[in-house]
Amino acid sequence: MSDTTMTRPKAKRGFGFYARIYRKILVQDLKSKMSYRADFVISTFGMIMTNLSGFVTFLILFKNFPTINGWDYYHMLFLYGFSLVALTPVQCFFDNNWNLRFQVQSGDFIKYCFRPINVFFYFMSEVFDVKGLGQLAFGIGTLVYAWVHIGIPVTPLVIAKLVLFLLTASLFMIAIMNAAAATCFWIVGSGYVMVIMFRFKDFAKYPSSIFHGIFRILFTFVIPIAFVAYYPSLAILESNNVPVLTWCAPALGVLFFYLSYKFWMLGVSRYDFTGS
Amino acid sequence: MENAIVMKNVCKDFKILNRHEGLKGSIRDLFSRDYKTISAVKDVSLEIARGEIIGYLGPNGAGKSTTIKMMTGVLEPTSGDIMVNGLVPYKERTKNSEHIGVVFGQRSQLWWSLPLIESFRLLRDIYMVPKKDYEEMLELYRSLVDIEPILHKPVRQMSLGQRTLSDILAAFLHNPAIVFLDEPTIGLDVAMKAKIRSLIQGLNAEKNTTVILTTHDMGDVDALCKRIVIIDEGKKIYDNDIEHLKSYFGSYRTLRIRHADDTWEERVIDESKEDVMEVILKKQKEQKIKDIQLQEISTEEVIKKIYENSAASKEAAAGLHVAPAADGETASEKKEGATV
Repeated sequence: MSDTTMTRPKAKRGFGFYARIYRKILVQDLKSKMSYRADFVISTFGMIMTNLSGFVTFLILFKNFPTINGWDYYHMLFLYGFSLVALTPVQCFFDNNWNLRFQVQSGDFIKYCFRPINVFFYFMSEVFDVKGLGQLAFGIGTLVYAWVHIGIPVTPLVIAKLVLFLLTASLFMIAIMNAAAATCFWIVGSGYVMVIMFRFKDFAKYPSSIFHGIFRILFTFVIPIAFVAYYPSLAILESNNVPVLTWCAPALGVLFFYLSYKFWMLGVSRYDFTGS
Repeated sequence: MENAIVMKNVCKDFKILNRHEGLKGSIRDLFSRDYKTISAVKDVSLEIARGEIIGYLGPNGAGKSTTIKMMTGVLEPTSGDIMVNGLVPYKERTKNSEHIGVVFGQRSQLWWSLPLIESFRLLRDIYMVPKKDYEEMLELYRSLVDIEPILHKPVRQMSLGQRTLSDILAAFLHNPAIVFLDEPTIGLDVAMKAKIRSLIQGLNAEKNTTVILTTHDMGDVDALCKRIVIIDEGKKIYDNDIEHLKSYFGSYRTLRIRHADDTWEERVIDESKEDVMEVILKKQKEQKIKDIQLQEISTEEVIKKIYENSAASKEAAAGLHVAPAADGETASEKKEGATV
């Protein structure tokens, strides 16, 4: 019996293939999310409140300390907005990391291993978190407001730098969350690891120069929170005096992301799937 | 390529940490290297031809799932060789997965929030199924089962039966050479079971798909499988066709007796040890019998016997107590007491 599956020409599953699949899943997912209107409205409202309360905390802080380590109100606001925008991709595209440990423990994770596509992609593509979009709007608003008040010139070069360093900053946060989530392949209490890492992102909203000694090294090289806003934003804020670490950031970001991906996939291959 | 699956002396061991009790124990576990090895699959060899429907049976924890995970490339065997469609599955998991379909337990692999037809379209893209083949497959589905009511329904709104049906259809969509079905009829009503069985049969007949079916439902086995493989404690203890299975325990009959109060009593009788007529006579002396039936032993009873025999011989090997002589050629002699 001739078998069509065997003789089918081998096509390549490249970047275009994955982009097309992702777009299709996304469109379908959004359609179904819109149909659950109450859920959509409540989660959007919750997201706005979360961002507002974060912002109010920030304002109160600045009522009491007009400058933090030489950073004035608008510079801090810039950093704040920058971090919000940089945290959007991890929120929108990689939110399924939060479900990883449940699926691994219950054994449901096995279903991602039966398709001829990348397991990491397949897993992440399943969830797109709309709440991230509100955060993005809020972040952009804050960023533009601070931008205007500081009086940074708007040139194509500055915009290009902004985009590059925002992407860089995102990669670091994604890498941190990937690595934190992947710990569930080895340990049972990985939920705590994720929550702690997610809390650390709040430190990203402050210049890492306020940290000293061991913490500075920790937040720069071990858990690279300082790269989630501080170092990348210096490329725009201190364009005359950009530190070396800022220039290294894009390459480091790609490296960290790659390492976290490899760690995640190592977890998958080590996992025994014993839960039948 | 005449065989869909070839397994040669496949073993799979798991290393499991010996856990200790209490807080002190858990702290000790953190640093402990105290592992024990559990053999889930022991020296299994198997050849499955193209187009066969195989019943892959065994009690819970016998190693069925582990075997299937090795065939699908999710797990790597500790030793031995597996070839699936001419590929080594764990080395080429992605390539292997193009030619297999899997319905694993009751876990839906479809997109929860999407209507079934959208899941189908995504799968068509993922497996890069040509449009013509895809349309033909949908046509075939329509001819076998009434899919219109579920086609536009989101998976999360489906009943268990509809979801199982959808999962099976999705597993066949890219016309794989082999489909693994793990307990496809579990928890379903009689009508749905029949529907799913005839669907599997129809797809197998039409597409010559090899089907590996694990189940605890002997109705599935009777309806679908010509050949069955039984494993227990990780060892293959039976591999032959279903008719042979019955002759294997040919001296057994099921005797059903209707008492005066219209209740039926059922007993499996080994004719080589006791006479059916004697049993009936003895019963008749005790109470009035309204009716009797003598039936050939059912598949279910045979399987139960095989499991029991296997368990008994294991106990005997472990020296717990001397079990009654096990029937003929079961694994009893080959069992080595040391592995328990």
